[in-house]
Amino acid sequence: MGEVRKRLPLQCPACDSPLRVGRLFCEQCDTEVCGNFELPLLARLTEKEQLFIVDFIKSSGSLKDMAKNMGVSYPTVRNILDDLIDKLNKIE
Amino acid sequence: MKRQWLNFLINPFEWIAGFQALGWGLLGMVVSTVISYLSGWHYHGLLHFGPAPNPAWWCYAVEHLVVWMVPATLFYLGGLILSRSRIRVIDVLGTVAFAQIPFIFMNLFNMLPPMQNLAKVDMNVPPTELLAQPGFLVGVWLSLIGVIFLVWVLVWMFKALKVSCNLKGYSLGILYCVAVFGGDILCRYLIGLCY
Repeated sequence: MGEVRKRLPLQCPACDSPLRVGRLFCEQCDTEVCGNFELPLLARLTEKEQLFIVDFIKSSGSLKDMAKNMGVSYPTVRNILDDLIDKLNKIE
Repeated sequence: MKRQWLNFLINPFEWIAGFQALGWGLLGMVVSTVISYLSGWHYHGLLHFGPAPNPAWWCYAVEHLVVWMVPATLFYLGGLILSRSRIRVIDVLGTVAFAQIPFIFMNLFNMLPPMQNLAKVDMNVPPTELLAQPGFLVGVWLSLIGVIFLVWVLVWMFKALKVSCNLKGYSLGILYCVAVFGGDILCRYLIGLCY
């Protein structure tokens, strides 16, 4: 049995509201921090969107290179990026 | 693999745009112009086709150029106004040219003898006489099959606008209708100057 890869839930399963951080702990010494923290901006994106941003940085911000690596057209990559910018603006 | 091909047939612009699309689109346009010249079927507009009084080769070339450039220009101008993305003219020209490749198949249908006969049919006779003319019904059925390729072109043009200008919702629908139906009227006027 392989280890189950858990994804960070971003929305409340009951009411779809964005989730916040309530508890953090240290794996080494079991120290716990409780509170009410907001997730960082990029952590509030989906896994696919986060991967896109990582690829974007790795390609030095070249959409042409990204399109080549992803095997899609230039406007397709630009549209994903523009939609992501819109989403980030809305979250902010 | 099969699914990817199906996706490509529905929206090729996810994978192809810019100069690559323009190259294939222009090649398709040349082939389409030659077939139209051989069959004698003219483009009267973006959505209207049939015989015309000018048989010169350049007339067919101009028709194809107009049918490509008019909607592409309207897409680009509309995109500049409505889109929040920085759109590239090469993407609009390329995707629209590529979207018109299925016209080749429609033009091939127009080369078939029943379609050639249909062009010669006198449409000013009563319906009963019209139906009695040889090959009329076959020609009508073949025309309907040809419409499938026209619909294919229109679907690809919709996808071309969506991808090249990054539009969604009402702005996409409205601009598309204005560019296609308004473009058809403009094309008919411009092409009419050749006759």
